[in-house]
Amino acid sequence: MLKVQGLTKTYATADGVFRALKGIDFEVPQGGFHTLLGPSGCGKSTTLRCVAGLEEPDDGTISIAGEVVTDRARDVHVPTFCRDIGLVFQSYAIWPHMDVFANVAYPLQVHRPRIAAAEIRQRAMEALHLVGMEEFATRPATKLSGGQQQRVAFARALVRQPKLLLLDEPLSNLDAKLREQMRFELQELVARTRVTTLYVTHDQAEALAMSDTVAVMVAGEIVQNGAPRAVYDRPRNALVAKFLGSANFLRGKLLESCSSAGIATVALEDGASTIRAAVPAGLSAGTMVDVIFRPEDATTRFDTVDGAIECSVERVVFQGGMSEYQLRLGSSLLRTVVHPSAGAQRGDRAWITVEPLRCIVFAPAA
Amino acid sequence: MAVQAADVLAPPRATARRRQGGSLGWTGRLVLGAAALAAVYLVVTPLLSLLITAFRGPGDLLPMEKGSRWTLANLVEVYLNPSLFTDVVPNTAIFVLGSVAITFLVAFTLAWLIERTDLPWRAVIFTVVLFPLLVPGIVVAFAWTLLFAPNAGWVNVAMRTVAGLEGPGPINIFSMGGLILCQGIASVPFVFLLLGAAMRAMNPALEEASSASGARPLTTFFRVTLPILRPGILAPLILAILVALEQFEMPLMIGFPARINVFSTRLYFDLNPEDELPAYGKAAAVALLFLAAAVVLLFIYNHMIRRAERFVTVTGKGYRPTRYALGRWRIPALCFVGLYLAVAAILPTIVLVWTSFSTETGFGLDTYRTLFANPHFWPAVRNTFVVAGASASVITVIGALLAWQIFRLRFPGRGLLDVVSFLSIGIPAVIVGFAVMVMHLSLPVGLYGTIWILILAYSYRLAVSTRLSRAALIQIHPELEEASYASGGQWLDTARRVVLPLLAPSLMASFLLLFIVGFREFTIPMVLQSDDNWVLSVIMWKLQIATQTGQAAAVGTLILVFVVPVIFLLRRRLLSRQDET
Repeated sequence: MLKVQGLTKTYATADGVFRALKGIDFEVPQGGFHTLLGPSGCGKSTTLRCVAGLEEPDDGTISIAGEVVTDRARDVHVPTFCRDIGLVFQSYAIWPHMDVFANVAYPLQVHRPRIAAAEIRQRAMEALHLVGMEEFATRPATKLSGGQQQRVAFARALVRQPKLLLLDEPLSNLDAKLREQMRFELQELVARTRVTTLYVTHDQAEALAMSDTVAVMVAGEIVQNGAPRAVYDRPRNALVAKFLGSANFLRGKLLESCSSAGIATVALEDGASTIRAAVPAGLSAGTMVDVIFRPEDATTRFDTVDGAIECSVERVVFQGGMSEYQLRLGSSLLRTVVHPSAGAQRGDRAWITVEPLRCIVFAPAA
Repeated sequence: MAVQAADVLAPPRATARRRQGGSLGWTGRLVLGAAALAAVYLVVTPLLSLLITAFRGPGDLLPMEKGSRWTLANLVEVYLNPSLFTDVVPNTAIFVLGSVAITFLVAFTLAWLIERTDLPWRAVIFTVVLFPLLVPGIVVAFAWTLLFAPNAGWVNVAMRTVAGLEGPGPINIFSMGGLILCQGIASVPFVFLLLGAAMRAMNPALEEASSASGARPLTTFFRVTLPILRPGILAPLILAILVALEQFEMPLMIGFPARINVFSTRLYFDLNPEDELPAYGKAAAVALLFLAAAVVLLFIYNHMIRRAERFVTVTGKGYRPTRYALGRWRIPALCFVGLYLAVAAILPTIVLVWTSFSTETGFGLDTYRTLFANPHFWPAVRNTFVVAGASASVITVIGALLAWQIFRLRFPGRGLLDVVSFLSIGIPAVIVGFAVMVMHLSLPVGLYGTIWILILAYSYRLAVSTRLSRAALIQIHPELEEASYASGGQWLDTARRVVLPLLAPSLMASFLLLFIVGFREFTIPMVLQSDDNWVLSVIMWKLQIATQTGQAAAVGTLILVFVVPVIFLLRRRLLSRQDET
């Protein structure tokens, strides 16, 4: 449904040349929900704006529903108002001089060929009903709260039943509780209308919760692309691992050679411990590697366990439903999560074990 | 620090305040009280004296002179005289509405071309458009008469030669049409700045949302862009009407020879008649009507600005508004801009420079030599700078102190003080001159006829400095001052070591802006002129009236020579920098 290939964009700034996009490729199937996830400045919004037609890339092609809308090489650029899209802005961009109904009816009113007024009215009210705002139809746009403006923005984006829904960090202007609620509503909306969606955010919780596929973007490139679980469980490098969820890092020396991917032993830097971890193919014994595991994958016990890594408790942080333990191992500080009933204190010894398959090894980049 | 024109013209607004009265101490109270009193003296007392003058007669006596008494005779004479309503009022109305229409058409087009299209050389054009802001209106008016006078005007001579015509013309600047056109073009830079600011403040996402909803660019323009800009257009419109109402230079230079009388010239000639005594009472009665209209407009303006603030939306990411590609409209757009710049800036400059260097024996510096030898010239130069500098300093200091009081303290009469300062935008300059004149002729203080009275009269423009300081104070959190008090500092310490350094850029901007305004002032020094207090703009007028055209042109050229480097210097500092993307 949406196909992006080789998207490149460069800006000339006062300090030189800034490469915002360095060749972006991804595809979103019909009805799919694809998220571009990354920190500020990684190029995700620029990519979305190129798909919307608000910006022109320096190179690459974009096609929506089989129609090529941007092809730099062949000088094709279909303007925004000719693309069958719905776009929700971070600032909502609700027109202040119109009321709620007029905002939502607008895409139908400017449609050519013309749509009959009765049909416009019916479809606009349906869209308002979809977002639960039909009672606010005559409210002036300046008298809406943030959450209400956002719902109106959704209704406006969906009213003409576009082929592609584009969302540019729509939840980042809301406070935490409202954000959760709106995230849920958005998911419901998308599921009900089954519209193909491209979502941009820097919030990894949103990305993991809502998407069919996630593309992690850093500095203008897609670093990893896949289903949320896949990207979370098998990050391709330390950058992705750190960005999605929290991660513990340990350095060590690989003790066995691995011609094919499998489980091997790594001697950790502190000298005393070893850990068995999932290792990619082609690493030889003696290589210095990074070992990564997630806090929730570590089991923490407070009496000796064979084969476990011994550390000392440095800090216990009570967080209500669970306690986060910060454990010292040599020069590293590890984090694990434990049920709050475990009554360990600072200075106690702790033993952690991790399922080898949940431990990932990366050969560190040069 | 970039200063927005909109900052200066915003009305009083309610914001959160903190009680700080306790930390004032005696120094604080003294300084602030003095500033408040000064503000009242500068703005209110002249108006009061005007009001009193209107009701005291007989008409040719000063209100406090022996023999004068309370009377309604002045008002009766003026308002029952049909000439006021068949001559002055209609002429003023046509003049104001006609010139504002032209100003808006030109300024909106220019602002749109520069802010929203890919017009080439935008940065240079922006600077040249603003160039007339620093030049006294009378100089530009004079240059236009040199260009468009029916007999000897350059443009007319050229047109006659090319078309082989005889007799005066074809363009006669000394007509209502000429007056309207000249005033219209002269007011463009100021309105251009305001409209440009409104366009820049618009959230680009609003237009992008329209495009993403399937609307063609023209549809977006009429259904989204214009309605959203409307409050930002109406407010400058009212302000432009207010400013046109008080204009004096064009009506004097161009309207008067054509026997067209508007309010400002009518008042001036009532106060400076050729062969009679000044009719203070009658002039005051005329001024009342003028003032009432101005105050009504001021309150409408206030209302418009509040409406405009409702439409300010939060922008998400700071993208600039899209620029439309001009395509084949590029050449017509450049022609339009070129024509405007030619008439407003380039041709006047050329004609002034040329005329100043032409002597009987070809080109030379004779005119300048005569001018420099003129005993009035160098004092006039000195006066101009002294008065502009002194009044700018006074207003900046008082305005800042006023802004601090109004914004940070709570005391009875605070709202009134705010209104007093805001009111000063709406008072026409000719009325200020008149009111100050009457007040000081009546007082035993011997300021009349000196440059001190000019400094006093110029200093009524408190609103400029108060607004700028207020905008800066909003950025300075009260806690910064509270930290000083908590550390044992007193009011004076806090003012000197915390507030003043933080306010410094805004004070600088205010000073520069007011210096420019004082530099180009013509109306007030004309009303209050005496042999001792001529300034450059007045001297130019005197020379021109005495048909010393060459010398007048030389004064104009010298002013231009001073102004051009200043505008380049100021462009970054003072004017809202438009981006170069």
